[in-house]
Amino acid sequence: MISKFLNRHQGGLRIVRTILLIVIGAAAGFGAVYAAEGTDTFGLSPLTFFIVLTLVCTLIGVFAVLAGVGGGVIFTPLFMGFTPIDSYIVRSTGLFVAMVGALVAARPFLRKGIANIRLLYTGAVPYAVFAVIGSLLAGYMNTALGPTGESFIQGALGVIVIAIGVLFIVKKNTEYPEVANVDGFTQKMDLPMPYFEDSLGKVVNYKLVRAPVALLLFCGVGLISGLFGLGAGWAMVPVFNMVMLAPLKVAATCSKVMISIGDTAAIWPYIQGGGMFPLFAVPSMIGLVIGTLIGSRIMLRVKAGFIRPLIIIVMFGAGIRLIMKAFS
Amino acid sequence: MNEENAPKPLFSGVIYGEFAFWLAVIGSAIAIIGMMIYFSGNQFFDAQGLLNGLWSGQTAEEIWRNASATKEVIHGHWYLDYLTTSDGIAMLGIGVSCLAGVFGAWGSFLVMVTKKDNPTVFMVFAGLISLLLTASAFGLITMH
Repeated sequence: MISKFLNRHQGGLRIVRTILLIVIGAAAGFGAVYAAEGTDTFGLSPLTFFIVLTLVCTLIGVFAVLAGVGGGVIFTPLFMGFTPIDSYIVRSTGLFVAMVGALVAARPFLRKGIANIRLLYTGAVPYAVFAVIGSLLAGYMNTALGPTGESFIQGALGVIVIAIGVLFIVKKNTEYPEVANVDGFTQKMDLPMPYFEDSLGKVVNYKLVRAPVALLLFCGVGLISGLFGLGAGWAMVPVFNMVMLAPLKVAATCSKVMISIGDTAAIWPYIQGGGMFPLFAVPSMIGLVIGTLIGSRIMLRVKAGFIRPLIIIVMFGAGIRLIMKAFS
Repeated sequence: MNEENAPKPLFSGVIYGEFAFWLAVIGSAIAIIGMMIYFSGNQFFDAQGLLNGLWSGQTAEEIWRNASATKEVIHGHWYLDYLTTSDGIAMLGIGVSCLAGVFGAWGSFLVMVTKKDNPTVFMVFAGLISLLLTASAFGLITMH
């Protein structure tokens, strides 16, 4: 019934979407005008802060898309490493922007059937549970451990960010991995769901393997995502593609939808803990969404291979900076 | 096999995507409207104080003590009691966006139950996820 309603009212829904986008744009514009009345603090008025943050996050969004990563994985290390903003607030906002990006992106993947609902719910259980544990741990460290907890978070995130940079260099994703033997557990789960691949003009039937190993790995990925406020596509895509041998497109789309589920679970303890401030979260979200849209359009026209090494350098720089901050 | 004969996406997945997209967009619109009013005044968090706090590396608790209207941290859904303030509205928008996944998961689970378009095990997984997200959103999973 709902699908009939959606099909029948596609035109109307498009108009609603356009109106909402206009409201968003107009509201952002009016906000900027009103903010002009603010007074300076540390050389920044709330207006300047709002605009500068929106622009910076737009740039992050553009570069992230061109480099083939989520905005959250660049946002959190950059703001933790190179601004004085408290890490709990940065992580809370990082998780929020990663979640919103994933929520908006999920729709076309599920409509086309490329994101495998069975696969993503199976992975989402360990991922979401451990993401919540990670965010609770973050809250505990923030309140109970004080500066020691802050230093630990900075140092550990620094190591993780450098590891992500190394992963970008060494990982070799395969578009359509070959599967020889399927283990009994994965066979029993009946996870694969064929989909129509536009570029090939045919249905792709695929097999999956090693589901138990992947489930264990998702526990670790969830913990890192919740504790450090990172999007986790950088880790999930290799787990789907290199461990379970899912086609790259299935891996990328499933990881995006799983981020939207897991980060929804993890974000609430941060909000309940008072770590979310609209003046910081809203421009970050607007910037990353706009940047992602711009980046997607640029990607269709230019060869973006040069961006990847740049992002790797940024990751190494942010990682080293975080480790230095941890020991200072 | 051509596109007409291609396997149809499961409605339990489609419904998740629809809820996720629309609630995220609506929530974002509310948050931006809230920020528009925020800059014109009627603030729960004093804008200058908050900016000071962020830029001087204050913790979330310190910012609450120095810049909020209550001068103390309110844990939970604080914005629901302050919807007459601009940042209360902005925070409500953020909350609506964060609820998108919760509604999506429940929608997906209910479709699985009614249409039985997936084996039972995935229905159980979807049910578990829905419960976990709801518990998290209601503040049942919290340090405070």
